[in-house]
Amino acid sequence: MPKKLTVVVSQSQGKNPAKARLEEEIAAALLFDPEIDVSLVPHLYDMHADHSGLLFLRSVAEPLVFLSWLYPRATRWTLDRQGVKGQEGTTLLRSEGEDEDADENDEAEESQSAGIGSQGQVPKRRIWCLDLRAYNDAQVYLDEIKRIGAEQSMPTIGLSLSLNGGPHRHRIAPYLEPQKLLSNGKHEPGASTSGVSARPAIELEPTKRRWYPVIDYSRCTNCMECIDFCLFGVYGLDHSGSILVEQQDNCKKGCPACSRVCPANAIIFPQHKTPAIAGANGEVTNLKIDLSKLFGGEEKDPLAMAVAERDAELVADGREAVGMAVGIPKRQTGSDKPRDALDDLIDGLDSFEL
Amino acid sequence: MTVKASVCVMSDPLIFMMGKYEAVVPIDRMYSENHLWLQAVADREGVYRVGFTSYSIRLLQDVYFLDWNIDANTGVSKKQAIGEIESSKALSTLYAPANGKVLRFNDAVLSDPSAINVDAYGDGWLYEFSTEAPLMHPLAYLKHLESGWERDQRYLKGQVNQG
Repeated sequence: MPKKLTVVVSQSQGKNPAKARLEEEIAAALLFDPEIDVSLVPHLYDMHADHSGLLFLRSVAEPLVFLSWLYPRATRWTLDRQGVKGQEGTTLLRSEGEDEDADENDEAEESQSAGIGSQGQVPKRRIWCLDLRAYNDAQVYLDEIKRIGAEQSMPTIGLSLSLNGGPHRHRIAPYLEPQKLLSNGKHEPGASTSGVSARPAIELEPTKRRWYPVIDYSRCTNCMECIDFCLFGVYGLDHSGSILVEQQDNCKKGCPACSRVCPANAIIFPQHKTPAIAGANGEVTNLKIDLSKLFGGEEKDPLAMAVAERDAELVADGREAVGMAVGIPKRQTGSDKPRDALDDLIDGLDSFEL
Repeated sequence: MTVKASVCVMSDPLIFMMGKYEAVVPIDRMYSENHLWLQAVADREGVYRVGFTSYSIRLLQDVYFLDWNIDANTGVSKKQAIGEIESSKALSTLYAPANGKVLRFNDAVLSDPSAINVDAYGDGWLYEFSTEAPLMHPLAYLKHLESGWERDQRYLKGQVNQG
């Protein structure tokens, strides 16, 4: 029995008609595919931990293809933080702004990753994160989903279609509600004659736009600079002493300061306009122009920007600006020099039990 | 690149030519250098409605999202980041036009930002703002556009050519 593939389309936040159309085209095309359970959920980043969309996502044990309007890194680690874990599936699609032939570099980068890795148990199933911003054509995504479906369950052949799916089809039913979201979806729930699930989406509890950091644990070294820098109690430590984003909603909307001070570039603000902060891999080009300078922005170095951003939020909270006095990274000058034997010796001291 | 500006009679708006596009500058309101208009609200001294000028709109094009990082009734300083905007062509942080206080936001454009494109100088207003700071007269804003146009184009082209 081939394993079923769950495909989830996470909706865009805005009123962009082109985005809504792409979501609908993809969902509608997959709706009657017996090998696939397709669902729509609100924008991943905006769902609170107890949102029905996330309850549903946590209940999915099968391989998962997750399409969202975010960089795949942002999607992957937001899911991870929300307890939707799995191995990273490799997609052939690029993400927004990425070069077609940049793949090899990415892999090189990944293999050098010095992070502490995802916290807790990570199941074997794979999660593929696709960036809906990268292509306008639904067919590109449908083809990739088909390819992934074939990859993750080799026995899948056309004949199995007539077998009408597997026994797991309705395992997640309690979390699903008939959905009117597909505006021209006329099929009725329960009226699925061929065993095809006609439940395209989660009951869409409205979401408000949120703002909080997402840690990429493949990069995070647990250096604690973020927890020292942020003065709003966003970060905390788990029982094993690993950094985590504890109080997401303590974060100050629009402020990406901790991301700027993170030496490993591990802190993602998925909605920030700067690709490097929003979770882009390596060098990308912005597809949209940035008008901030015309509207009054100024250019500063990252640390000065972070300090100014933090001070603005402190003052807005009725607290004193602290400038460079608190939680500034104590990076040694010249720390970008290659390591030498002395570095190894000093670091080695930590491993001795004294 | 020639820069043309034609000043018309009486209550006609000023026009700044962005290439072939006519950026309209109505003369019934004031302006800030970061391309916002500020129109005095009747009977409330120092209170203005604030919106995007058509110069801004031409560069943004269709606005899809607008979001504010501050609450209503918040004091702000000039150039403080107060929100974010995304349009079909651009992304930007939005900054306060002057020292003052943001009194309330236009909820209608928050839920459907297309009003910003449909009626930039009317229903597409962004927020009410109280300030005592000096503002630019329409003619001064027109001069500001003229003197900045070459630089702004270079700034935009620089980004487009980066890729």
